Amino acid sequence: MIEVRDLKKEYVEDETSTQALCGVSFSIEKGEFVSIMGPSGSGKSTLLHILSFLDRPTGGSYTFSGRSIDDMSDKELAHVRNKDMGFVFQAFNLLSRLSVYANVEIPLLYSDIPPAKRHALIEDAVRAVGLEEKLHTETGRLSGGQKQRVAIARALVTDPNVIFADEPTGNLDSHSGLAVMEILAGLNKKGRTVILVTHETQTAEFAKRIILLKDGLVESDTPVIFDGTKKTQLK
Amino acid sequence: MLFRDAFKTATRSLAHGKMRSVLTMLGIVIGIASVIILMSIGQSAQNLILSEVEGIGSDLIIVIPGAPASGNFSAPASAQGIIITSLKERDADALRREPSIVAVAPEVRGQAEVVYGNNDESVSYQGVNADFFVARTLGVKEGRVLTKSDIDSGLRVAIIGLDLAQTLFSERVTPIDKTIRLNNMSFRVIGVLDKGGSGPFGVDQGNIVIVPLSVAQKQLLGINYYNDIVVKANSEYDVNFVKSRIAFVLRQNHGIMTADKDDFDIRTQEDILSLLGNITSILTLFLAAIASISLLVGGIGIMNIMLVAVTERTREIGLRKAVGATDTDILEQFLIESILLTLIGGAIGIAVGAGIVGLIYVVLSTFYASLGWAFAFPISAVLLGLLVSTLSGVAFGIYPARQAGKKNPIDALRYE
Repeated sequence: MIEVRDLKKEYVEDETSTQALCGVSFSIEKGEFVSIMGPSGSGKSTLLHILSFLDRPTGGSYTFSGRSIDDMSDKELAHVRNKDMGFVFQAFNLLSRLSVYANVEIPLLYSDIPPAKRHALIEDAVRAVGLEEKLHTETGRLSGGQKQRVAIARALVTDPNVIFADEPTGNLDSHSGLAVMEILAGLNKKGRTVILVTHETQTAEFAKRIILLKDGLVESDTPVIFDGTKKTQLK
Repeated sequence: MLFRDAFKTATRSLAHGKMRSVLTMLGIVIGIASVIILMSIGQSAQNLILSEVEGIGSDLIIVIPGAPASGNFSAPASAQGIIITSLKERDADALRREPSIVAVAPEVRGQAEVVYGNNDESVSYQGVNADFFVARTLGVKEGRVLTKSDIDSGLRVAIIGLDLAQTLFSERVTPIDKTIRLNNMSFRVIGVLDKGGSGPFGVDQGNIVIVPLSVAQKQLLGINYYNDIVVKANSEYDVNFVKSRIAFVLRQNHGIMTADKDDFDIRTQEDILSLLGNITSILTLFLAAIASISLLVGGIGIMNIMLVAVTERTREIGLRKAVGATDTDILEQFLIESILLTLIGGAIGIAVGAGIVGLIYVVLSTFYASLGWAFAFPISAVLLGLLVSTLSGVAFGIYPARQAGKKNPIDALRYE
């Protein structure tokens, strides 16, 4: 589903260039749950931005569902983001003055889904994260954990193939963080591909595979096995 | 993105900051209201002037000395202060012999100080003959009009306008047979004009002194020519035919062979209405143009606030782009917001303008009923108001909307 080969990203500012990704290669199959880990400055956020079509690489190749990013216009990238990708951000990025319903509706505004079908989709997505009672509550009045669940509902509403989560538990307490990760794990069990960026090992271990980045390169790419009591990342 | 979704999104954003939206609209409200008020007042003034000119009768023709002005809009040379002496007594005599003409009233005019007792007033005076009252269908409220014998004998008699009578004489004193001084010459008042009546160019006749033509020419002005000749057409003839006959007679008198050499200009009521209509329309447009400066200021206010909104909502723009909005979707959303602001502001401005125009009408019709001011609220002003407000929404909203549309989603999502 996702295949990157020798992926590079160079930022040039004031005649100074920074190599954020120095040639990353891996593949992610449909239905995988992958954590991308690494220290600050390792290039994990840059990689996530490229994988989620928010940015373009400066070298190498990236193929998503058989199509190269190089062959797609910005408008096509926006269309794929809307149709095939869902986003969960560390800072939630909810419009606090709007209700849960209106926030979850946002991706549908830019989709081909007719208005008549939207209501049911929004209700289903909100139900999936257990917030149906808060449907018409302003998101500014919700707790951090509830806000992140709204963000997940927003990511789900267009029924995307892949969910990109960028430090989804970074702003949450451990209890809320756990609840959010369980929802993501549940979505993965139902067949959705989940790609997670995190620096927390506990969070990363919800995934079935961890890609460790260091200095813009893949340092390790290992599956996570469950031994009955805890998950262990194989070296 | 469907238009209804873009519209809903825009209205939500505006509703969120109600006070800001209202204050932003204020500039447009004032601008549109100013344009509406000035256009309506201009229209009312135009109607008033034209109705007064219409009151002089469609069979009235005015012969002005000097070559015809080019086009109806241009003022005649004589009206620009150039003295032209081509219209003389023999012209009036020749016109009197025309069967298609029932009255020929040459006129001369001047400015003078009129004094009665301790009261004085600066006025216009007119030297006329007896036909003047036939041609102009003017009557007197008190006394009598000038007769042929008054003219022929060169008596220093005068008819004064109604407003002048009130200025010079107290209510208890009748002006008739009183002696007034005009340019230090004594004139006996024999009549007071009745209310209303405009001169051929819309001159107010309330503050005027009318004296015999011969006296005005010889004793007051010392001239032997006329400022104009007012002709009343025989109603059995078409006015344009009479106009052509006048031209024929005057060309014969002045030895002119072709029309392009004419040293006179003939204007019917229709010509004068057209001239005045053009002048007042230009004046109205000029006033509207001045008022539109406030619209410009209002529009700049809209642009300013929209730029602030784009900056404030950078993360929202980033989010919308992340979940599938294109540059165009974002541009549309912000453009609709600015158009909505200006359109609603324009609608309120039209309502405010209509209210103020109505108030002006009520005040004028209550306290200055004699003015005959009519309520005019041209539909063109409403349409123009809506069109201009929509266009200013586009003009002043496009730059902020483009800025919003061009934002990079990653930078926008990271914006603090």
